[in-house]
Amino acid sequence: MFAERASWWVTLFKLSPLLVPFCVLFLGGLVLAVAQSLGFWLPVPVSGGLFDGYGVLLNPHVLASARFSLWVALASAVISVSAGAVLAYAVWRLPHGLERASVVYKVPLILPHIAVAFIVLVFWSQSGVVASFAFHLGLVDGVSDFPSVLYGPEGGGMILAYVFKEIPFVVILAHAVLKRLDPRLVETAHMLGAGRARVFLQVVLPHMRPALNTSFIILFLFSFGAFDIPFLLARSSPGMLPVEVYNLYFRRDLSHRPEAMALLVCMFLFALGFVSLYTRIASRLEQGDRKL
Amino acid sequence: MRAYFTFVFIAVCSLLPLLVLIVYAVAPGWTFPELVPSELDWRALQYAASQWQPILRHLSVSVLYSLAVVALSLVLCLFPAHHFAYRRFRGKSMLEGVFLAPALVPSMTFSMGAQYLFIRVGLTDTLFGVVLVLTAFSYPYMLRALTAGYQAVGEEYELCARNLGAGFWMRLLRIELPLLMPSVIAGGSVVFLVAFSEYFLVFLIGGGAVDSYTGYLFPYLASSDRSMGSLLCLVFLAVPVLLFLLVEYGVSRMYRERGMY
Repeated sequence: MFAERASWWVTLFKLSPLLVPFCVLFLGGLVLAVAQSLGFWLPVPVSGGLFDGYGVLLNPHVLASARFSLWVALASAVISVSAGAVLAYAVWRLPHGLERASVVYKVPLILPHIAVAFIVLVFWSQSGVVASFAFHLGLVDGVSDFPSVLYGPEGGGMILAYVFKEIPFVVILAHAVLKRLDPRLVETAHMLGAGRARVFLQVVLPHMRPALNTSFIILFLFSFGAFDIPFLLARSSPGMLPVEVYNLYFRRDLSHRPEAMALLVCMFLFALGFVSLYTRIASRLEQGDRKL
Repeated sequence: MRAYFTFVFIAVCSLLPLLVLIVYAVAPGWTFPELVPSELDWRALQYAASQWQPILRHLSVSVLYSLAVVALSLVLCLFPAHHFAYRRFRGKSMLEGVFLAPALVPSMTFSMGAQYLFIRVGLTDTLFGVVLVLTAFSYPYMLRALTAGYQAVGEEYELCARNLGAGFWMRLLRIELPLLMPSVIAGGSVVFLVAFSEYFLVFLIGGGAVDSYTGYLFPYLASSDRSMGSLLCLVFLAVPVLLFLLVEYGVSRMYRERGMY
């Protein structure tokens, strides 16, 4: 089917239901964040230079917080995508009845982020379910003996929460792609003597790769910039960047507004840069397949 | 045998947390290092039952604004999705990418600026403000689903109806929307879930004046009362599941009546 070419005016008209709210809410909000980060249009006037808000961001506390955010986002996205890919393949290989029944994997997807954070709390806190099991297995002697998974410097609690919540998302995307893969390809590879790992890496994985790239971008940026889970699970210092912004915005006085907005602008630019860099690298690896 | 193992593994990983929540709900005294609670206790259930009015109020407001977000995003995305699916124009792929941005960049980056705008025009602390900001954040899922849906359906039905003299509303209501129903449901489910489970944006724009179930739930989750938190989480899960079952039932009935499948 050949798509008809539309004139510029028709395009503008047809896209206007989305363009107007997009410009007002999204771009408007963004422009205001930039303006406030530079010291304009603030609720109360703040003395200081144009880039003072950005200068403050270079202090060690904020840098540590940025490193921490990157680590949590990277670790949770890598684990979710890898585990999700393997699970999607496993689900696809199930016999038909079981494949249908395995929709239960979507449960964490329905749970809201704060509920997932709560579940991780219940399981992994020092007096949680896992600690109780460890006690009965003789691995720990008491509450204080169980490692502080949740509030340790690795951000384990948040990573666990994101992984639990995000694996089903990867499985959905990857499984949808696998449905278009001919199972006979896998059978043939097996018959020709390829092992399980080799079939997965060389037949199945290349087929899933566009979906995995998309989900990696989405998940990485989501856990980098989301607020709900860190707010419930993070230790205070250095916290995730969204929690830092929250503290600057709500907990401190209005003179910190430029810093909060400067931090948001930096996060936005990082997200933009990440998407363009990642899609460029991924498309070079796959010769121009569409990612998003 | 291997297949059963895989299935059991997946089922346990997904459902075990829910089982633990259920147990916590009926055993507030369950503490370390007990593997199973030593006694059952209906305290939390009784307390929740005594609180049914605030719970129901917060829950219904949440459902209300989430459904409004679904409806608004559907209305906003219908035309653009049609255009993206069937027309070529300059800057198409760039615009498609730009329109997806709100789902990719951290929602904080635009919502805090938007909050300032909302304060200026008096939209903070209103239900409409909450719906607007949630729509700005979640419409990309609807746009993607509808664009894919239009592409899958094809333009022929619409052209045919036009040739037979059907007007705009007739085509929209009798031809396009019924054919698009699977995509609307797919996109709408995601949008609903995103809106229904969002905590921060509702807190930011609603400012506590707009009731929301997430806002009601949060203090319980952060407190040491795991029993009440568990119970309220289970209620949270029940709503979308119930809604999806209802939609599934309603749609399959509609299709049967029209003899479409």
